[in-house]
Amino acid sequence: MSQKKGKLVMAGLAVLSIGAMAVVSGAASPAKAYASAKPITLVFANDGLGTELSSTNVAVKEFEKLHPNIHIKVIVESANSTQAYQTLVTNLSSGSATPDVISADVTYPATFAASHWILPLNKYGFNLKTFYPGMVKSGEYRGKLYAIPWFINVEGLYYRTDLVKTPPKTFAQVLADAKRVLKSHPKMIGVAFEAQKYEGAVTVFQDIAGGFGGSFLNAKGKPVLNSAADIRALTWLNSLIKSKVSPASVTGWQEGNVQQAFTSGQAVFGFNWPYLYPLAEAKGTPTKGHTGFIAPPVSGSHSPVASLGGTDLVINKHTKYPKQAVMFVKFLTSKAIQTQRAVLAGDPPSRSDSYTPALYKQAPWFKQEKTVYKYATPRPVTPLYPQISAYIQTALSSVYSGQMSPKAALDQAQSEVVKLMGQTHGG
Amino acid sequence: MGVRPEVRIPGRAFRPRSGLSARRSYVGYGFIAPAVIVLAALTLFPLGYNVWLSVQQRILTLPFENHAVGLANYVALAQDTQFWHDLLRTLMFTGISVFVELVLGMVLALVMSKEFRARAMVRVSILIPWAIPTAVSAMLWAMFFDPRTGFVDFFLGRVGLPGSHLVWFNSAFFAWIPIILSDMWKNTPFMALLLMAGLQSIPKELYESARIDGAGSWQAFWRVTIPLMQPVILVALIFRTLSALLVFDTVFVMTGGGPGTATTVVAYYNWYQFFTALNYGYGAAISVVITAVAMLMAFLYVRATVRQGGLFR
Amino acid sequence: MKNLWTKIGFVALVTAILVYSLLPFLWILRSSLESNKELAQATNSFLPSALTLTQYHGLFANQDFLRPLLNSLFIAGCATLIAVVLGAFAAYALARLPVKGRALVLGGVLLISFFPQVGMIGPLFLVFKKIQWINTYQSLIFPYLILCLPIVTWILTAFFSQIPAEIEEAAMVDGASILRTIWDCFVPLAMPGIFTAGILGFLLSWNDILFAISFIQTPNMYTVPMALVNFRNAFYIQYGQIDAGVVVASVPIALIVVLLQRRIESGLTAGAVKG
Repeated sequence: MSQKKGKLVMAGLAVLSIGAMAVVSGAASPAKAYASAKPITLVFANDGLGTELSSTNVAVKEFEKLHPNIHIKVIVESANSTQAYQTLVTNLSSGSATPDVISADVTYPATFAASHWILPLNKYGFNLKTFYPGMVKSGEYRGKLYAIPWFINVEGLYYRTDLVKTPPKTFAQVLADAKRVLKSHPKMIGVAFEAQKYEGAVTVFQDIAGGFGGSFLNAKGKPVLNSAADIRALTWLNSLIKSKVSPASVTGWQEGNVQQAFTSGQAVFGFNWPYLYPLAEAKGTPTKGHTGFIAPPVSGSHSPVASLGGTDLVINKHTKYPKQAVMFVKFLTSKAIQTQRAVLAGDPPSRSDSYTPALYKQAPWFKQEKTVYKYATPRPVTPLYPQISAYIQTALSSVYSGQMSPKAALDQAQSEVVKLMGQTHGG
Repeated sequence: MGVRPEVRIPGRAFRPRSGLSARRSYVGYGFIAPAVIVLAALTLFPLGYNVWLSVQQRILTLPFENHAVGLANYVALAQDTQFWHDLLRTLMFTGISVFVELVLGMVLALVMSKEFRARAMVRVSILIPWAIPTAVSAMLWAMFFDPRTGFVDFFLGRVGLPGSHLVWFNSAFFAWIPIILSDMWKNTPFMALLLMAGLQSIPKELYESARIDGAGSWQAFWRVTIPLMQPVILVALIFRTLSALLVFDTVFVMTGGGPGTATTVVAYYNWYQFFTALNYGYGAAISVVITAVAMLMAFLYVRATVRQGGLFR
Repeated sequence: MKNLWTKIGFVALVTAILVYSLLPFLWILRSSLESNKELAQATNSFLPSALTLTQYHGLFANQDFLRPLLNSLFIAGCATLIAVVLGAFAAYALARLPVKGRALVLGGVLLISFFPQVGMIGPLFLVFKKIQWINTYQSLIFPYLILCLPIVTWILTAFFSQIPAEIEEAAMVDGASILRTIWDCFVPLAMPGIFTAGILGFLLSWNDILFAISFIQTPNMYTVPMALVNFRNAFYIQYGQIDAGVVVASVPIALIVVLLQRRIESGLTAGAVKG
């Protein structure tokens, strides 16, 4: 998934970094300097670029100052999620002792835990009370804790506050608002969303399916991809394209395209991640002062579902320095460092106590983003998720291109996933 | 895909020289050995490993469930409708692109063997697409067909034809057009070069006698050129067919096999099994099948080359 | 009259060929010279209203495109060098020395040149993983030998066999060692052929994307085609920079072709129909 890669464009935020340093140094870390005789090196595999990378480096410097005997070597992994995933699988499955600490997309820990590649963290005294429960859940596998949430990422619906006065709650309202605006602005895009054949299309589908009361796997972990709710959801998404509320070109779109459509003022609605907010509110952007961010729509009495992205920290099971690795993870996920990262890189903290007035002062949009977090729902926590996602991607793409009906495509995906989960015992 | 030169051993032209002592033949083997060893290691080892993997369950993310499964992967492959659909698509792509490339290559070869002022320019300009990496050429054509900024939709819109604002890559049918055009752009030049070399080897006198017999240039083409070119055409056809059957780069870059699975070809499906499904047992079974088919076809190619050039005299 | 029409038809045909070969390239060149603002609009004219080099600046400043260029140069260069050395020795023996099974070797090499790449990636990946070669230069240099060594061997065999052997024979009769003889008498004459084979080997290695996406995972090891493809998958898509990247990746190749067209053609058809 690509949501982690990209908050690199928070151009405006770079200016704030000095202010942030002040905040952080005031609040930073209670940990005592760790005085070990021998200096050691921890390898930290991290997949951020741009401002994400620089904020990681700022945090690493602070950590090294506190612990002069621990050197942190930051390795940058691919911004392409498929590759980043392959890299981690490659390293971990070969039993290498490095990287010691890994930043992992929320969909990875289950796989890594099932394969016994990462360290169970229950005995290391992490206090996750203030962390968002959805995020904590993504780090658990079969009752054990394997991953500590680092920052959250929740997909929501962006809308133009100048064109849509009351934020819509239901699918019908979204459609009506979009159509109304299109009538007076025929060149605009009603709903911009990710419909290319890739992970981003799956998260949008998860949002919509959830709003209809559907999901990918049921509570027992059995696939329910062709449930009535899922079929309705896909039908609704497809009807956006068919009725030209969304242009057919969305079938080639990823987050970057949705972002471009929204920030250039061409889209009424857009499904995207929090990173877009500061960009849409940047100086000189047509959407400045007109950007709203709400939970995805629902039908009837269902509660919204907002696909959970975000990044966890995990520790390699074969690390030579588990204690030091735990210290580093605790440091990175501390309240102060998460707040610092939110300001420097725009990554939303995974703990609620990081959302302080000081943060809002520098990045006011977090206030509105935060309202969506409570709907955050992880994608299925199973080692087979990458394969399941691939089947869903094919189904979505077959429907958007008119090759299959939503029902036929989801029936097929369902039978493939049932077959997949039957073949292996990993589910 | 590559440039395998259509090579014909210039057999009769060079025979080991008598001046060299036969005792030195061990030197010859020593010279050949490194290349042969490297090539054998790079092919026989993966082949053997694939055969072994193909009778195992080997999914990287399920490391505790590795075990021998006999022929289960092959049975699954035989029942995998996705694979058979991919194969059918690959065959259709191969048939169409190779045919079009042959015709176009022949036209290019005929044009290039004429004397005219811009000849050098034409020869350079068709060689450039050949040299540009396939992935880059696929990107070039993908952007050429982009509905917003591409040339095609802009042009169609300009001249008022339907098809402007067509989202090419969202159609199970139309997505193939940029794929085939990109493949043609990249591969026709090599075809043309081969055919041109073949044309040049036809003795001029044959055309003259055909003209004396009263044949027009069209008739001469069918009566002289085509029959004499047959071996060259055969070699070119097998060569292109083989590389078209293994097409990967263009599909990977342009469509990722989509929309749905409408442009998924066998090589892409194989790669997908290895690097997305992380299923090395099943992937290996597909690889073994692909390798067997490719080697069989390559054998036919080598034999055709040999027939034409007298490899084994 | 008929002649005139034939002539017009021919000119039209030549024009069509030129347009087909060059237009896609010219179009992307055009896009690469546009500003982001203009790229965000749908295209509505053949020529952009203003030309700018910002995309090229961004390509190197923000995307660090220099790194993949150097990676590709190094990897393809090493693979070519190894292939030319190994191929030249093999070709010399095949063209000159009294070895048995010459036809078998040449036929085998030709056969191997068709070995499907996709049939190699699975096993090689598992092995490279085990010996920690993933994300290294050697993980591409060695597999690339399968792309260029067979062709280099073939081309060189064909070239070498056309070089007269009398001088070498004379030298050997005089008692010079075989390596000495090759170096002094043969290599100077063989240089053009070796150079040609080298160019083709280099272009073939530069062309690959399948091995690269299989064995390379970290951005600082990307090759040129891989880097270009990955620009597209970035969160923040910079179309203009992709355009510029495609141009930068193509221009050196086009220059090589323009400068060395005859050599490349002769290499491609070396030993072919004429023989």
